[in-house]
Amino acid sequence: MSRRIAIVEDDAAIRENVADTLRRQGYEVATHPDRSHALPAFKSRLPDLAIVDIGLGADVDGGFTLVRELRAMSDQLPIIFLTARDSDFDLVSGLRLGADDYLTKNISMPHLLARIAALFRRIDVLRSPPKVEETVDRGPLRLDLKRMTATWRGAPVDLTLTEFWMVHALAKYPGHVKSRDSLMSDANLVVDDATVTSHIKRIRKKFLAADAAFDAIDTVYGMGYRWVAG
Amino acid sequence: MSAALAAIPFVGYGYVREMENILRSAQEQRVIATARAVATALHDRPRLLEFSAADDDSSRRPGARAATQEIEQILVGLRRASSRIFVIDQQRRLLAIAGSLRQDPPAEPEVAGAWGWVQARLLRPLWALLLERPPEDFDDAIPEELLSGGKEVDAALSGVPASRWRPTPDGRAVVLGAAHPIWSGTEVIGAVVAEETTNSVLTLRNRVFEQLLTVTLAVFVLGAGTLFLFATRLSRRLRRLRDQAEHAIDPRGRVRRAFRASGDSDEIGDLSRSFATAVDRLAEYNEYLERMSDRLSHELRTPIAVVSSSLDNLRTRAIPEDAQVYIARAEDGVRRLNAILTSMSEATRLEQTLATTERERFDLGRVVSGCVAGYTAAFPRHRFELALPERRVELDGAPDLIAQLLDKLVENAMDFTTPGEPIEIAVAADGATARVSVSNIGLLLPEAMADRLFESMVSVRSPAAKAEASGKPKGEPHLGLGLFIVRLIAEFHRGTARARNREDGRGVVVEVAFPIAPPA
Repeated sequence: MSRRIAIVEDDAAIRENVADTLRRQGYEVATHPDRSHALPAFKSRLPDLAIVDIGLGADVDGGFTLVRELRAMSDQLPIIFLTARDSDFDLVSGLRLGADDYLTKNISMPHLLARIAALFRRIDVLRSPPKVEETVDRGPLRLDLKRMTATWRGAPVDLTLTEFWMVHALAKYPGHVKSRDSLMSDANLVVDDATVTSHIKRIRKKFLAADAAFDAIDTVYGMGYRWVAG
Repeated sequence: MSAALAAIPFVGYGYVREMENILRSAQEQRVIATARAVATALHDRPRLLEFSAADDDSSRRPGARAATQEIEQILVGLRRASSRIFVIDQQRRLLAIAGSLRQDPPAEPEVAGAWGWVQARLLRPLWALLLERPPEDFDDAIPEELLSGGKEVDAALSGVPASRWRPTPDGRAVVLGAAHPIWSGTEVIGAVVAEETTNSVLTLRNRVFEQLLTVTLAVFVLGAGTLFLFATRLSRRLRRLRDQAEHAIDPRGRVRRAFRASGDSDEIGDLSRSFATAVDRLAEYNEYLERMSDRLSHELRTPIAVVSSSLDNLRTRAIPEDAQVYIARAEDGVRRLNAILTSMSEATRLEQTLATTERERFDLGRVVSGCVAGYTAAFPRHRFELALPERRVELDGAPDLIAQLLDKLVENAMDFTTPGEPIEIAVAADGATARVSVSNIGLLLPEAMADRLFESMVSVRSPAAKAEASGKPKGEPHLGLGLFIVRLIAEFHRGTARARNREDGRGVVVEVAFPIAPPA
């Protein structure tokens, strides 16, 4: 059974380009230009994954509203923001609403596909617990590579896909310095250094919320970051 | 108003002149009346005169003396202060005389207190310079020519009363003389001459002039004082407006703070309000300009996404080998556009980050040395030389941002350095200031532009020259945003950034000065 992906995007060219790319990968794609078209369709049948733009025509924050409504319908549905807006404020707002990832429109199609595939993998694993666990254990940190979830001293740390990939890239080789560029490619991201910095900050905050003494991510000024084995 | 003030003394002067004329004619009437009164008293008493007349020689008889005494008694009875009356007979011989033209100078009224002091010490000497005081030591002798040929005497002796103003023989005072005939029946037997100087009128006139001048001076002082206060207040407000206007915009032309408009309802208030409007508009325009790169990058992102996603889709099709190169070129173009957009919105995102960044204490030397180690590993084509201070230099701020600042400085230095020459990075501390400087050998800055370097989208050294110097492939964007970011981060740390040519004239040094965090 092919998976259904809904794209809510006001720009017809991008909408169709993304749709074509996804269809070529075997996904079933439904496209909607704005909220008034998307919402009735979602109500009649939820897609397996939703890609939503924030600005929908005249409705400047229409994407935020739509995602809130979608989350109300299902808390399992993977949602990706795909938007031209790259401010920290929008990013934080988007993730707070419960989106699984926040991507800017300059992402390449292969990167987008990789993320979509990863999200679906995570869903699959969550639905049917695998017999063999594939994990990375670094002291108190445990990364479940199948579910793409992280726990710190047994407590779950709620990471987005981007954040999970970054933590994974760092923790895989403790002590090695990862430059911002390599973190970006590991996380299938095309952003600037400042965005990587703010991702790292957010990751630290999430771990600090689980453990106030967390200091495993070390900044190596001018080079990047490294995981310090506890 | 000042014209009206200026007219006051002239009007006053004319008035006093008029009054003086009236006084003079009143004096004349009075002197004439005196002469007539004396003459009337002597009318039809020819004996008094005859006695005298008969006694032509100097040997006076007792009768003549008695007559003279009687005349003098009459004269004394009618005499007035500062007037002189004398009687002559037809032969113009002086029969009797009474009174004197001189008089004691009238005592100046004394006023007690400060005003009296001002009057006595300041005003009187001043008025004495301006006004002629009637002299008291004039020659008061009866001139011979008066008796022998004075017009009024001639007229009186021929039966007609007359009066005349004449100067004293020494010319120092003016004497008013009135002569009246003494009749005996139908015959003129002599004449009475009454004389008075004009000094009393002059004195009176002077006093009025003094008062007029005092009042005028007071009005002028008051007027000038009022004008001075008014002018002082105006100039103070104008000065304040000027200072405000100067401080509203910093030397780089950026609006430093909002202009507080004055609520005054006059022209200066208007000026202040229009200044405020102008500054507000300038601030909006500046903000528009600073946000423009951000908005532009936002607006461009969607069409670029269209192009790049289309190219991605095209890649999946069977494309002839000779067409592949065009796709590669298009992708390269899109990649460059993306890089430009990213750096264009970097400044705006940094500003948002700064607004929420928490400050911490950190060792500047450790951050810089870490960064330089990173550059050494990342850019093997360049040589980096680092100088650190001996003591620990702590700043209050964000180490990540300092690293970003150093990235920009080094990026800038690498862009313009002569290949093979080292890039010198130094941290220095003197007193309460820490300095980070990055110096490279290569193209120089035009002196005039040094201050503008740290503005958004200002690039001074030409990209062509830069590409040549760095040997980088052409097309890497150089938007002049790097040093703008340096400035934003420096200002976040309450520091300042400055670029200048090296003292040896071989290159450029960019220096950022920060206040060192006080010891905890």
